[in-house]
Amino acid sequence: MAFLLCKRAMGFSPWFFFNWKGENIMKQTKVFLNESEMPRQWYNIVADLPTPMSPPLHPGTGKPVGPDDLAPVFPMNLIEQEVSTERWIDIPEPVLDKLCLWRPSPLYRARNFEKLLDAPVKIYYKNEGVSPPGSHKPNTAVAQAYYNKVFGIKRLSTETGAGQWGSALSMACQMFGLECRVFMVKISYEQKPYRRLMMMTWGADCIPSPSNITQAGRKILEEYPDSPGSLGMAISEAIEDAVGDKDARYSLGSVLNHVLLHQTIIGLEAQKQLEKIGDYPDIVMGCAGGGSNFAGLCLPFARDKIHGKQISIVATEPTSCPTMTRGPFAYDFGDTAMTTPLLPMYTLGHDFVPAPIHAGGLRYHGMAPILSHLLKEKIIEARALDQIETFTAGINWARTEGFIPAPETNHAIAAVVQEAQKAKEEGKEKTILFNWSGHGIVDLAAYDAFLSGKLKKYELPEEELQKALESIAGYPKP
Amino acid sequence: MPEQLEIRCPKLGNQVTFAYCLREGGDIPCPRTIKCWHSYFPVEAYLREKLASDDWKRCFNQKPKEKILTLVELIEAAKKQKQTVK
Repeated sequence: MAFLLCKRAMGFSPWFFFNWKGENIMKQTKVFLNESEMPRQWYNIVADLPTPMSPPLHPGTGKPVGPDDLAPVFPMNLIEQEVSTERWIDIPEPVLDKLCLWRPSPLYRARNFEKLLDAPVKIYYKNEGVSPPGSHKPNTAVAQAYYNKVFGIKRLSTETGAGQWGSALSMACQMFGLECRVFMVKISYEQKPYRRLMMMTWGADCIPSPSNITQAGRKILEEYPDSPGSLGMAISEAIEDAVGDKDARYSLGSVLNHVLLHQTIIGLEAQKQLEKIGDYPDIVMGCAGGGSNFAGLCLPFARDKIHGKQISIVATEPTSCPTMTRGPFAYDFGDTAMTTPLLPMYTLGHDFVPAPIHAGGLRYHGMAPILSHLLKEKIIEARALDQIETFTAGINWARTEGFIPAPETNHAIAAVVQEAQKAKEEGKEKTILFNWSGHGIVDLAAYDAFLSGKLKKYELPEEELQKALESIAGYPKP
Repeated sequence: MPEQLEIRCPKLGNQVTFAYCLREGGDIPCPRTIKCWHSYFPVEAYLREKLASDDWKRCFNQKPKEKILTLVELIEAAKKQKQTVK
């Protein structure tokens, strides 16, 4: 008669179950690090890049953008990190103290999802949804709030779309006794009350943008009184707000070097956790909007790749995949420098689009320069995925692993599915690691849209389709 | 009509209608509109018909700026604004 006995296993938690013979009858699912094992330094990949990155040039002077150009919106200690070439940068103790509230985040093995996929793959994921706001964003929000605090800043200003970044910064400012003002894009402010309420709960001043409190906002409202806002407008307001107050600075949640630096704690933890179980990934994946969660996981592994490890690092981008059969064109920039106009890549009648549209994601604006550089150097690759495919993957994930992913995280999961299918077709065993960047509990409206069929493809009426095709009849075809 | 179709906006992180994408840039669409919508309906053809040539160029033929340069431009604009108010 078998009975269960709990035993503490080294490196695994909380308990594992053994039968009366001492045989392990329960497979391990999570790998934890103790707080004392948390990385004490961030990793800066700039020190290891095979070729240097070109500095951005000031649009006015034509000279490289320097610290003084950024000083009105960032404290000098963060600007120093932005331009640093040091490989390792110490994480201050007060930052570690706050990160310890949810870090180190667990590394999971997605055994149930593996079973569903029925492919020769091991799937590991870093669960960044365990932070109080439910995403990876606080990793840099806490650090930025700290550096502003020690620089003597009293208030931070920022913009947010649906509120993921805004809520992370609101919490971080509260932790360090800073005021926080968040310009939230009006359409999101009206549609996403829960994120807005999270910000307010953490003590932030959340303002719908465009607003009347900045000149930029007033100008927009004069021209378009019912403007639903945009991220661009909200950024303008947040910058103006910061520049106009000597005690205030601006804070950005993605793209910039120092933001990516703060996120590397994710990948550094993952490396330690995998080492504990004697494993290493063949493929590292993450979704990349601005790039911070992807960079956070992948940069320490990119270092390994630069030093000779055979590993694929794949960024997935939220975009549509042109699988339609009736549409006339897919467009992409004609060169990697994005200097050409959009170019037609295929015409009606062609079966599928060529590679450029799939590799094009990271070349678009808004992506972190470090990641664009790594893409150019072929250290990472990019993949674009269709929203319907990503939500299907997310639903399957929730039904097997339980956790409901953020819609952005679904892009990484969908890419994992693709890799598993590929491994099955090739009959090769693969170990996949990806960043589960956040939960989707406050994004259920997106799931509602998917489940109720609102994300389905739209069949343009034939008459309208013909009219539309006539409108582009004169354009060159490839 | 496609204006009422919904999609998740990768910039905002919430659902938006195509009507929002059409006015995201104030009087012009979001530069991502074609990229986001082209698998749902022939959006490029649709926009070619709706937009004036200049608006099309302003929207889709502009070279996207790096974020840091956008910030620098906004800082300069805000500094000028501050001086004007003084």
